Amino acid sequence: MTGAPPVPRRREGLATWAMVAPALAITMVFALYPVVDSLWLSLHDIFVGIPQLGSPFVGFENYIALFRDPVARQALVVTLAFVILSTLLELACGLIIALVIHEQFQGRGLVRAAILIPWAIPTVVASQLWRYIFNDQYGFANLLLFGDRVTDYIPWLAYPSVAFAVVVLADVWKTSSFAALLILAGLQVIPRDLYDAARVDGATMWQRFWHITLPLLKPALLLALLFRTMDAFRVFDLVFVMTQGGPGDATQVLQYYGYQTLFTEGRVGYGSAVSVTVFLMIMALSLTYLRAIGSSLLERRRA
Amino acid sequence: MRWICSRRIERSPQPPTGTASSWIGLLVLILLAWSPGTLRAESRADAALAASTPPVTLRFVSWKPDHAPVWDEVLADFSRAHPQISVARELAPHSSTAYHDLLTQKLKNRDATVDVFFIDVIWVPEFGETGWAHPLDDFFSPAMRQEFLPAAVEVGRYGTHYYGVPSRIDAGLLYYRQDLLTKYGFLPPATWPELIHQAETILAGERATNPLLQGYSAQFKQYEGLVCNMLEFVEGHGGSLLRPDGTGSSLSSPQALAAVQFVRDAVIGRLTSRAALTYQEPEALSLFLQGHAIFHRNWPYAWELANNRARSTIAGQVGVAPLPGFSPGRTAAALGGWLYGISAYSRHPDEAWTLIEYLSSQAVQKKFSREAGIAPSREALFSDPDVLARSPQLTNQRAVLQAATARPRSPLYPAISHLLQRYFSRALAVDGIDLAEEAALTDAHIDRLLALTKAAP
Repeated sequence: MTGAPPVPRRREGLATWAMVAPALAITMVFALYPVVDSLWLSLHDIFVGIPQLGSPFVGFENYIALFRDPVARQALVVTLAFVILSTLLELACGLIIALVIHEQFQGRGLVRAAILIPWAIPTVVASQLWRYIFNDQYGFANLLLFGDRVTDYIPWLAYPSVAFAVVVLADVWKTSSFAALLILAGLQVIPRDLYDAARVDGATMWQRFWHITLPLLKPALLLALLFRTMDAFRVFDLVFVMTQGGPGDATQVLQYYGYQTLFTEGRVGYGSAVSVTVFLMIMALSLTYLRAIGSSLLERRRA
Repeated sequence: MRWICSRRIERSPQPPTGTASSWIGLLVLILLAWSPGTLRAESRADAALAASTPPVTLRFVSWKPDHAPVWDEVLADFSRAHPQISVARELAPHSSTAYHDLLTQKLKNRDATVDVFFIDVIWVPEFGETGWAHPLDDFFSPAMRQEFLPAAVEVGRYGTHYYGVPSRIDAGLLYYRQDLLTKYGFLPPATWPELIHQAETILAGERATNPLLQGYSAQFKQYEGLVCNMLEFVEGHGGSLLRPDGTGSSLSSPQALAAVQFVRDAVIGRLTSRAALTYQEPEALSLFLQGHAIFHRNWPYAWELANNRARSTIAGQVGVAPLPGFSPGRTAAALGGWLYGISAYSRHPDEAWTLIEYLSSQAVQKKFSREAGIAPSREALFSDPDVLARSPQLTNQRAVLQAATARPRSPLYPAISHLLQRYFSRALAVDGIDLAEEAALTDAHIDRLLALTKAAP
């Protein structure tokens, strides 16, 4: 018998609720309410510019219009291309960075800190930086490639596909270190003796990487993938600062389109439909990932 | 409870800080876009206001001005003349769209801490329709209206009400290198083919000494300015963005298509570098100021900078003329400019009017035009010897300003503009695009928006 008398179940439940209540309230007000409100707004036709129209309930009309909207369709294609390209590149770069800074070497602490610098720079500042790097007249990219031959300078951001690639590059530069951080954490929990045993069995470096590191890194990789995909889906500031969607809508992503329709154009119902659609896509993706992460953790426990 | 966004109020004169403050503006805007708002504690100024009526603090939401010292002087003079009214300026980003988003966010929230603001000429229908701007019919008397350029007054009217007093009125102009045109025996071109011929002749002669020289520099980035530039080409070709009765979009008209095709084939990548697809006003102007462009399209403010020896390598060698058309005598200029307006949610409309009356007075406009080179909107100043001594080009500009073409006037203009920006940018930047198809698609899209406005009772 322990000294303390058991707390009655009922009181324990109340105490739990009291402790959870603040967090719950904050979530309700700041997360659930805006989402539900957006959903509600998206079922109405609201134009800030024409208040006489009122706000008639239109059901899913905004969503139907969204599916037929060529601007939104292109923005979806651009967004998906951005998500896939930037996430894969970030995972690849992140993995390489993590493997390097996982090794023991002189000045590792310094390198680890340095690698985080791009991630620590505000995105707006980083975007401005990359815009300058690819400037047609005084950009560093041109200086590096052509030096004094100013007549050869290339207006990078004037080509739709190059402008898109530069936005991807800026994102990869900025967030690979974040992926690296997550992967590094995964690397550090892999028991050393596995490698020792493999070495005794005569496994090469590649074999150890393929058969030990990569499989055991799966949960960390999935986690990095989850975070990066969600973030990439929400890309806004890079586009806002670097290209404003141009040239020719080549960098027009869904979030920026939603911002434009909601804030600049005042098409509240339609803009909300864009936001809700992005939200639903991200949620579906997250749930899929979470399920995958959950099952891979289970596998590991069984093993 | 008032939910408003993070703000930066500027009371004391500050030297222009260049990019730093525009970054802050950008950050403010992004905060604005992302957060539902931060709860602001009632400031002491507001508490003082509640306690006694005078003195009044007016909140003036302004963009970051190009000529900050002149603005500071003018506002300091106002405070001396009206000790009961103090003016707190809130500076927003310089770009019209960014300023629009910040200002309208406050107005949507019925924010009473906005009294006086600028209205871009393209927002008048929106601000009138939404009731954000206080109708100025009681203040802006018919007698006073007569003192301004008629086009400038008319652009501030929506329906039967006047919503703005012209601060400064703009129109697209063609700047050129007087020295180069004289050297090759040319007069300012009246048509685009003539301009191209002149540019090619001059380039052939000057390439050896100035390899970076281009024929033309203008604004073709996907943003509001692209609409202005393209409107000038389309109108100059005898087309228009909307049908004359305003009921539909007319990008598919043969004239409009031909104009866009011309810019795509003969201007981008030929007369001007492809880099122009990334240029707004500052980048295009900088090319001209460095002596790297023979012709340059810009608003009236560029005259002052082009002749400013501290900033321009071509000071004293600049000429200005109406933009060319596609047949002699057919010229078109986009109408731009800013009006002073009063917020419908202001608690001090009378004091706000006192400020506007002062800012748009003959004396202050004269000061702005003499010290900052800003084109006046008051009729009398166009023949004022003091003003003309400083800005002789105003004699020519008066006719251009008076005849300038407004962009589509609709309360949904921001949405229409985005569609136009997208169409024009795709037409100029994307390879192998089917112009007629894109134009028809955009027409249909804009028609749907216009129909909505008409459906409103």
